Amino acid sequence: MSPLATALFGLAVLAGAVGLAAILTWFERRLLGVWQDRYGPNRLGPLGILQVVADMLKLLTKHDWVPPFADRVVFVFAPTAIVVAMLLGFAVVPFGEHLYLLDLNIGLLFFLGMTSLAVYSVLLGGLASNNKYALLGGLRSAAQMVSYEVFMGLSLMGVVMLTGSFSLRDIVLAQQDLWFCIPQVLGLYVFLVAGIAESHRLPFDLPEAEHELTAGFHTEYGGMKFAMFMLGEYLGLILICCMITTVFFGGWLGPWLPGPVWFALKTSLLICFFVLLRAAIPRPRYDQLMSLGWKYMLPLSLFNLVLTGAIALWLRGA
Amino acid sequence: MSSEAALWPFIVYFLAVLALVATMLGLSWLLGQRRANQATNLPFESGVLSVGTPQIHFAVEFYLIAIFFVIFDLETVFIFAWAVAFFELGWEGFLAVGLFIFILTIALIYEWRSGALDWGQKTRTGWKPER
Amino acid sequence: MLALFYFAAAIALIATAMALTRANAAHGLIYLIVSLLAVAVVFFLLGAPFAAALEIVIYAGAIMVLFVFVIMMLNLGRSADEEERELLAPRYWLVPGVLAACLLVELAVISFAAPGHSAGIVVSPKAVGLSLYGPYVLAVEIASLLLLAGLVGAYHVGRRFIDRSGGNKS
Repeated sequence: MSPLATALFGLAVLAGAVGLAAILTWFERRLLGVWQDRYGPNRLGPLGILQVVADMLKLLTKHDWVPPFADRVVFVFAPTAIVVAMLLGFAVVPFGEHLYLLDLNIGLLFFLGMTSLAVYSVLLGGLASNNKYALLGGLRSAAQMVSYEVFMGLSLMGVVMLTGSFSLRDIVLAQQDLWFCIPQVLGLYVFLVAGIAESHRLPFDLPEAEHELTAGFHTEYGGMKFAMFMLGEYLGLILICCMITTVFFGGWLGPWLPGPVWFALKTSLLICFFVLLRAAIPRPRYDQLMSLGWKYMLPLSLFNLVLTGAIALWLRGA
Repeated sequence: MSSEAALWPFIVYFLAVLALVATMLGLSWLLGQRRANQATNLPFESGVLSVGTPQIHFAVEFYLIAIFFVIFDLETVFIFAWAVAFFELGWEGFLAVGLFIFILTIALIYEWRSGALDWGQKTRTGWKPER
Repeated sequence: MLALFYFAAAIALIATAMALTRANAAHGLIYLIVSLLAVAVVFFLLGAPFAAALEIVIYAGAIMVLFVFVIMMLNLGRSADEEERELLAPRYWLVPGVLAACLLVELAVISFAAPGHSAGIVVSPKAVGLSLYGPYVLAVEIASLLLLAGLVGAYHVGRRFIDRSGGNKS
C-alpha cells in the first residue's frame, strides 16, 4: 500500500477499534442476557443498539469532576494512558496479508510493551485519587497485572521459537500448514488466562471487586474519565482477541473467504468466548489468583518452552 | 523496514489517537454539568465520612511481588533473545537456556518453599499461628 | 528520519530535566517514563529495534513500575514534597553537578575526536540472540545467578516486614 493509503487505513483502524469497543458494551450485555435468561438493554432502537449512543450522551453530560484532594494532573493523565497504550497496540496487528499499519520486526514485543504500559493507568489512577479504596484497588490490580505479565510474554515464546521472528506477519505466514493452537496448546492456554487477567476482565476483575473495594482504582472517577477506563478495558479485550487470532489461530488464513473476513470472524468468536467466561465462571479470591499465577502458570509456561524446544530440535534432527 | 515511508502512517495514527483522547476529555469538560452539593468534594467511602488520612500502610507482599516481577521480567528478556534465534542456535543454545531456566526454577522453588508466594499467612517462616 | 531522531532526543532531554527538578516523586517518575520511551524511539531509529523493545518492556514497563509501587506503598503525602523541595537547593547538587559536567565535556571531546558514526546497520533481534547465546553465553549464565541472588536477597529484605499477626491483610 502507498503511505497515504496506509495512513487512511490507520484512521479506519482507529475508528473501527473505538467503535467496536463502544458497540461491545451493548453486545456484551445482550449476550449475557441470552446466557442468563434475561433481556439486557432492548428498548432503544433495533435490538437496543442505540443504548450505546444513549450511554455516550449520558457520560458526556456528567460532571467532569476532578477531586480537590487529588493530584489533578496525574488524575487526568491516568485514564488517557490505558486508551493510548491499547490503541497503539493495534498498530502492529496484521488484519490481512497486505492489510496492516506497521510490520515491525519486533511486532510482538511492541504489543507486550504496550500492555505493560497499561499498568500505569491503574497505578497512577489509584495513586492520584488519594482515596483509600482507590489506593488499595490500584495496588492490587497492578500487582495482579504485573504477575500475569511475566508469563504472558513467556507463553508467546513457543510460537516465536517455531517461527524465528517477532514479526506478527511472519508468525501468521508460518501457520500455512498448521495453526499454532495445535503444537502450542499449552502456550495458548497460558496466554488466554494471562490475557483475561491483564485486561482485568471477569472472572479476574478483582481490582474492581465491588463487594469489597467499591470500584477499586476508579472509585473517584466519573463521567468521561471513567468511560475512558472502561474504553481501555474493552480495547484491551479486543486487542487480546486479535492477538490470539494472529498468533494461535492463523490470523487471516482460511479458505474461500477473503483474509480480513476470516480475521474478523475468528476475533468475534473469541470475544464471544470471553463474554461466556464472564457469564460462567465465578471470581476467585485474591490470594488464590496470585498463587495461581506464580505457582502454576509460570512453571507451566517455562515447561512449555523446554518441551517445545526439545521436540522441535528432535524433529528437525531426525 | 524502518524506512521513513513505512513510519509516517504510524505517526499519523499516533497523532490521531492523541487527538481522539484530547477530544474526549475536552468535550466532556465542555458539555458536563457543574454541581456543587454539600458532599460533592468529599472522598467517596460508601457514604461514611472519611476518617484519618489515606496514607495507609500496605502489606509488604506488594513490594515482594513487584521485585519478583522485575526479576522474572528480566529473565523473560533473555528467553526472548533465545527464542527468536532458536533453530540457528540448535542444541547448544537449548542446553544454555536449559541451565538458565534451571537456575531460575531453583529460585522459584526456593520462593515457593519459603512461603514468599503465599499471600497473607507465611507458613514456613518459623512462625506458628496462635491457637 | 533525522527530524524524528532529533525530536525524540529533544523530548528525552526535556523530560529528564523535568524529572530531575520535580518536587513530587510521582510527577518526576512520569517524566522519567516519558524520557525512557523517547530513548526507545531513538534506539529504534538508530537501527536497534530489539534494544528499543527492551527499553519499553524492561525499563518503562518493569523497573519504573517497581518505583511507582514503592512510592505508592510509602505513600508519604504532601509533607514529602516540602522535604524534596529543600533537597533541590544548590548546595546539594552543585558539586556533583560540576563533576558530572566535567564528565560530559570529556565525553563530548572523545566523541568528536573519533567520529564513530552509526553506519545505519539494522541489528535484527535474531542477531542479538545469536551473539548472546554464542560468544556471550557465559554472561547469560552469570546473569541468571545474579538474578537468583537478587531474588533471594529481595525476599530476605522484605521478610522482616511481613506482618505475622496472622490476619489476612489486603
